[in-house]
Amino acid sequence: MNSLIVKALAFSAVLIIATFVVMKQMNVNLDDPINQLTFLGAIVIAVLSFGVSAKYINQMKTDKAEGELAKENWDGIGEYKNELPPGWAYSFLATMIWGIWYFLVGYPLNAFSQVGQYNEEVKAYNEKFQEHHKNPNKEMGESIFLVQCAPCHGETGDGLSGKAQDFTSRFTKEQVLHVIKNGQNQLKYPMGAMPAGMAAGADAEAIATYVANGMKGEAPASFVACASCHGADGKGMNGMSPNLAEYDETVVVNTLKNGKKGNIGTMPSFNTMLTDVQMKSLSAYISTLKQ
Amino acid sequence: MQSNAALEYDYSVVKLFTYTTILFGFLGMLIGTLIASQLAFPELNYLLGEYGTFSRLRPVHTNIVIYGFTLSGIWATFYYVGQRTLKVSIAESKFLTIMSKVHFWLYFVGALIGVVSLLLGFSASKEYAEFEWPIDVVVVLIWVIWGVTMFGLIGIRREKTLYISLWYYIACFLGIAMLYLFNNMEVPTYLVAGVGSVWHSVSMYSGTNDALVQWWFGHNAVAFAFTVPIIAIIYYFLPKESGQAVYSYKLSLLSFWGLMFVYLWAGSHHLLYATVPDWMQTMGSIFSIVLILPSWGSAINMLLTMKGEWNQLTDNPLIKFMVLASTFYMLSTLEGPIQAIKSVNAIAHFTDWIPGHVHDGVLGWVAFTIMSALFHMAPRAFKREIYSKSLMETQFWLQTTAVVLYFTSMWIAGITQGMMWRAVDEYGNLMYSFIDTVAVLRPYYTIRALAGLMYLTGFIIFTYNMYMTITASKKLEEEPQFRSPMA
Amino acid sequence: MFHWLEKNPFFFSVGVFVVIAFAGLIEILPNFAEASRPVLGLKPYTVLELAGKEVYKKDHCIACHSQLIRPFKSETDRYGMYSLSGEYAYDRPFLWGSKRTGPDLHRVGNYRTTDWHENHMWDPTSVVPQSIMPAYKHHFTNIADIDTAYAEAFTVKTVFSTPYDIEGGVKLGTLDEAKVAALAEAKVIAADMKNQNVKDAVTRGEIPEIVALIAYMHRLK
Ligand code: HEC
Ligand code: HEC
Ligand code: HEC
Ligand code: HEM
Ligand code: HEM
Ligand SMILES: [Ca+2]
Ligand SMILES: [Ca+2]
Ligand SMILES: [Cu+2]
Repeated sequence: MNSLIVKALAFSAVLIIATFVVMKQMNVNLDDPINQLTFLGAIVIAVLSFGVSAKYINQMKTDKAEGELAKENWDGIGEYKNELPPGWAYSFLATMIWGIWYFLVGYPLNAFSQVGQYNEEVKAYNEKFQEHHKNPNKEMGESIFLVQCAPCHGETGDGLSGKAQDFTSRFTKEQVLHVIKNGQNQLKYPMGAMPAGMAAGADAEAIATYVANGMKGEAPASFVACASCHGADGKGMNGMSPNLAEYDETVVVNTLKNGKKGNIGTMPSFNTMLTDVQMKSLSAYISTLKQ
Repeated sequence: MQSNAALEYDYSVVKLFTYTTILFGFLGMLIGTLIASQLAFPELNYLLGEYGTFSRLRPVHTNIVIYGFTLSGIWATFYYVGQRTLKVSIAESKFLTIMSKVHFWLYFVGALIGVVSLLLGFSASKEYAEFEWPIDVVVVLIWVIWGVTMFGLIGIRREKTLYISLWYYIACFLGIAMLYLFNNMEVPTYLVAGVGSVWHSVSMYSGTNDALVQWWFGHNAVAFAFTVPIIAIIYYFLPKESGQAVYSYKLSLLSFWGLMFVYLWAGSHHLLYATVPDWMQTMGSIFSIVLILPSWGSAINMLLTMKGEWNQLTDNPLIKFMVLASTFYMLSTLEGPIQAIKSVNAIAHFTDWIPGHVHDGVLGWVAFTIMSALFHMAPRAFKREIYSKSLMETQFWLQTTAVVLYFTSMWIAGITQGMMWRAVDEYGNLMYSFIDTVAVLRPYYTIRALAGLMYLTGFIIFTYNMYMTITASKKLEEEPQFRSPMA
Repeated sequence: MFHWLEKNPFFFSVGVFVVIAFAGLIEILPNFAEASRPVLGLKPYTVLELAGKEVYKKDHCIACHSQLIRPFKSETDRYGMYSLSGEYAYDRPFLWGSKRTGPDLHRVGNYRTTDWHENHMWDPTSVVPQSIMPAYKHHFTNIADIDTAYAEAFTVKTVFSTPYDIEGGVKLGTLDEAKVAALAEAKVIAADMKNQNVKDAVTRGEIPEIVALIAYMHRLK
């Protein structure tokens, strides 16, 4: 082989290797047939385009154009009556035959269905990950969190300076005051709705400060108003009402199922997008975020 | 009228279109470089208030390069090649002379208004058919006028047989006429409701139907603006500049009719895995593969025309441009079909690999071919030799490096991002958030922006070289037959 | 040789036209009637949503965002159920896009909310620090064009029989009625927002572009 073709192929090789290295760095799965086919396609493009054009350019060095000239001549441009390059002609013929064959025979007319393909993909997926989907765990929660929740809660779960719930603590004072003032009825706890106005003025302030501080130390006397539903420890009486002291599974799952509108803003419901195991994993992960 | 003296061709419209090719080329690439930089450095979105965001400027870029730069180039060369291969001067007909002037001025004014309308946000949001209906009306008018001058010129021709280039110009005319008309069927809302903006319209087709018509148009707009007329250009200028006869008439013939027949069927490769019927998608994929050969046919014909002319290749930068253009054409017409395979498209679609593919074609093939045609025409139209060969060489290497950087960076970026979108972790959950896949692209966006800057610099060198050629270069006594004289 | 056709520009052109024209017929026509049928329960856009769609078109969000979820597990996990043809029946034009510099938006109404959009459109990096999306602060001051949106709704109702003003559907009515309805919709959204200029504008009876855009984003489900 001559130097031009070698150079062209070397260039293709560099491109392919670079692509491969970057792909590998991003941990993509090369067992995936779609990934394989794409990579193969990339190789074909690089090798054929550069290889074949180098071959023709090389002929400018080694070969000579000749043939019988047609009698026409346009503004000094002549035209040879040369035959078709055989490689080109046969390839053209071959692709045409292949195309007809594929459409009529190879691709069973109208039998392919992309939705069918999707269903199979999902089935294969479920089989493959069945085991993992039995047990919720915080690692799984973390990866879902980064994809689905981070755009609002931030990658560290800090709520992006007050744009969504900050998972490093349970509540801010404003949040508690907001609920005391307005009541709340969205999370579908067995206890139903929390009425508005359970406390007011200095009492409400004191309660809110206490809850926002993580319910440490002495509870203000007025907290009894809350304790009747949330328990003296604020832990929600075994899931009857929300746990005010810390994130537990119920509060996370209920929020994910129902969404929540509060004084920070609105949290959408993920009811149709996440499975139970994924929701539980998320709550396992969120519990690890508190300081 | 019928004199026997050597024909004096009338290049006045050729010159006008040459100027707009350069003007729109510069503007289009400037904005291209700006939007490329915006993806790497988002602060650049705020240079022009609400008119300067990536999203406002992207259609301005595509429309200027397609309907400004490329169309001007097509028409500059058409009025040149048409007269010469038909052996008739446009000045022989007063009517055609006037029409060609009307053609230019209507086009120029229309193009300027079109650009401004997009900047102001009047957009139908259909790719490459963004112009709202008042502009469409002007476009149709311009197109009809081109038809009149083209067929008028053919009507009074002396050379009876149409040269290959003209086949392609005719196809360009017919193809775009049909496609543009059907895709832009829209109802101006003001005319129906009597309130609101006069510019606004709604598409005649909805949803999936609209998508089908749009990509039947979009794909073939690429075919009949970036492929067919560019082949017309290279079929004249490469043999003419090199003095070589076209290698094979049969190959020209089969490539032409093959391309005409196959191209139109492939449009649905833009809609793979969308909501159009499965059989239609498959047809798009199959015809895309078949399309490789008629596309490569023209490129191979050009490369074979240069057989044995290695010294011309090394010695004449104009030949270099055109030979490399042919190979970039081969690259994009193999890359496209591979990307049209359903499984590959599952990854390629929506990623930067597609703009990568696009710019192999437009930078390496379209722009190279048009610029070399302008270089070749300048000494004939302005009767001066090309100002500087060494500037041409510099431009060639700068822009070649730029194209290579552009497509390799977007190739890697696109394939990687496409695979990252699919990646799952050991629990079967998505491995990457969307923004993770954007963050890895930043370095490649930076490389692409750099490539844009290099290409743009090359174009500025080209502009300077053309300017000096037109105004200051050595005057020519006689028209050169083949190779363009250059200092 | 074969130069006969090339000496007859008329037949040559007819030949070219026939060869290129009939592919279009076969490719486009068979699907036409079927593909435009709406899925059950699909409602036409309200005037406010249309005004938002106009903002989306004007600022060309399609440059970076698709509205087409392909049937792959990786896409349905990320964005929700794959898209169906009938969901686009009232989309003129379709807005599928061809490039995802940003994520798909076909069902963004399911998982993003008013306050989030408010933060995000004002400054994307305030919620997604690595975002490369431009900020669209001018949406907070520019006033949406309700007249044109009404004209669009009126046109599709008149010309394409889009089902406005039917039982249990979207009411269009007269221009004045439509303006009142749009303002009422806008007030609900503005109530969840914090930007004082936007709130003031809506109180005055003007609808800033951002409000219309958010209405449109919420409609995408
Ligand atoms: C009648 C029972 C009841 C009383 C009394 C009550 N709560 Fe609640 N609280 C609830 C219920 C039930 C919910 C969950 C409402 C829902 O479904 O959204 C709730 C929700 C909350 C929330 C929001 C939790 C979250 O995660 O969104 C806070 C904060 C709260 N209560 C604080 C208080 C405070 C402080 C008091 C005392 C001033 C109090 N509650 C008194 C029943 C009560
Ligand atoms: C579109 C933005 C957004 C997304 C996405 C989002 N959240 Fe939220 N989330 C919020 C906002 C805003 C709040 C605060 C609501 C309030 O109290 O004002 C919140 C609150 C919460 C709360 C606290 C609820 C309570 O009552 O204490 C939990 C738990 C939560 N989100 C979990 C998640 C998880 C897990 C995900 C991802 C699967 C997620 N969120 C995705 C916006 C979002
Ligand atoms: C330069 C590209 C670009 C343009 C133009 C752009 N976006 Fe984005 N968009 C992004 C990127 C990147 C993201 C992901 C990061 C983020 O959330 O900011 C995004 C995210 C979004 C999201 C959040 C979707 C999600 O699932 O998180 C919405 C909604 C959105 N964009 C709306 C718009 C609208 C409306 C416009 C036009 C007015 C627009 N975008 C223009 C790049 C862009
Ligand atoms: C055999 C020839 C070709 C085939 C089969 C082909 C195929 C394709 C495919 C499959 C896509 C991607 C669609 C997607 O997934 O989004 C595409 C996009 C594109 N190609 Fe080609 N291509 C060919 C040649 C060319 C050439 C020569 C050019 C330009 C000079 C070109 C310009 C474009 C453009 C502009 C797009 C982008 C369309 C969009 O906006 O989405 N193509 N092509
Ligand atoms: C300096 C040179 C250029 C640069 C830096 C450049 C840059 C860009 C960028 C950044 C985009 C947007 C890609 C995206 O959305 O991700 C784009 C799109 C596009 N450009 Fe260019 N461009 C240049 C020259 C040209 C020329 C000369 C042409 C045509 C003759 C052209 C035709 C197009 C087309 C058709 C698209 C749309 C592609 C698609 O939708 O897939 N560009 N360009
Ligand atoms: Ca239009
Ligand atoms: Ca595109
Ligand atoms: Cu195409």
